[in-house]
Amino acid sequence: MLDPTPELLADVLGTVLQDSAFIFAEPVEEAPEWTPPIYSAEIAFESVRGGVLRLSTRPRGAVEVAANMLGIDPADPEAESQSRSALAEVLNVVGGAFVTRFFGTKVPSQLGLPHTEVLDSMPERRRTCVATLQLESGDPVMLELDLEPAAGPA
Amino acid sequence: MSAAGAEEKVALEVLIVDDSSVTRKMVRRAVGLCGLEIGSVLEAANGEEALAQLRQHRVDLVLADINMPVMNGMQMVERMSQDPVLSKIPVVIVATPMSEQRVERLLDLGARAYLPKPFRPEALRDLVMEILGDRGTAHA
Repeated sequence: MLDPTPELLADVLGTVLQDSAFIFAEPVEEAPEWTPPIYSAEIAFESVRGGVLRLSTRPRGAVEVAANMLGIDPADPEAESQSRSALAEVLNVVGGAFVTRFFGTKVPSQLGLPHTEVLDSMPERRRTCVATLQLESGDPVMLELDLEPAAGPA
Repeated sequence: MSAAGAEEKVALEVLIVDDSSVTRKMVRRAVGLCGLEIGSVLEAANGEEALAQLRQHRVDLVLADINMPVMNGMQMVERMSQDPVLSKIPVVIVATPMSEQRVERLLDLGARAYLPKPFRPEALRDLVMEILGDRGTAHA
């Protein structure tokens, strides 16, 4: 099995943002410059190979996602109060979409529960690949994949 | 449909079960937009809360996630199927894409259908009308 590509991650994330939040996000080549605070969500998965997916954005990006998911104005206080929950839910759907697209639906797979945290800086983390999309507000949303190495030949 | 026929219809009481508050709001919004006659919409954050709600209120339809803390959707469906009253309430699993094996397991346990996230309100309406028949009445 080949390793997943940034293009696959970008396609999965872009499709989920479009279908869940009616956001048309475009892939960007350059790594974003992060200033605190950074909203980050993480979800673990088990399938043919296990791994972790992480989704990060700025607070304004998370508010944009929440507002679009709920069909409310980004200035509505509810958009801010639901912003981290919205980021976690997008990652939850991304997790299911990634696992079933990459490993297929014929093999057993399992997602963990997503959780979010607020970071002061973007840590250097082991990752198999990464994709960054730009939201309509201009804020970046970055999807990182850390996939366990494939088992070698017996 | 005649006026008399319309009067006989009872609005659906729906229970949404999901640990994500934003998802519960999204599903509630979709329920409101799908064109069905909806009465009240209840919410629960996990399977245990859902079972408590189901024992206190009349519910015609349960829309439930799978991955939840405390009691997940699969455990909730299993518990409902073992209860002579709760087993009559249809459960639609509204969850992220999953393996065919998991979907089959859920249907074997008693779930009536699986609706992958994200979904359109019309897809929910069609599914509910298929499951509930005449009880799942759409607005004219």
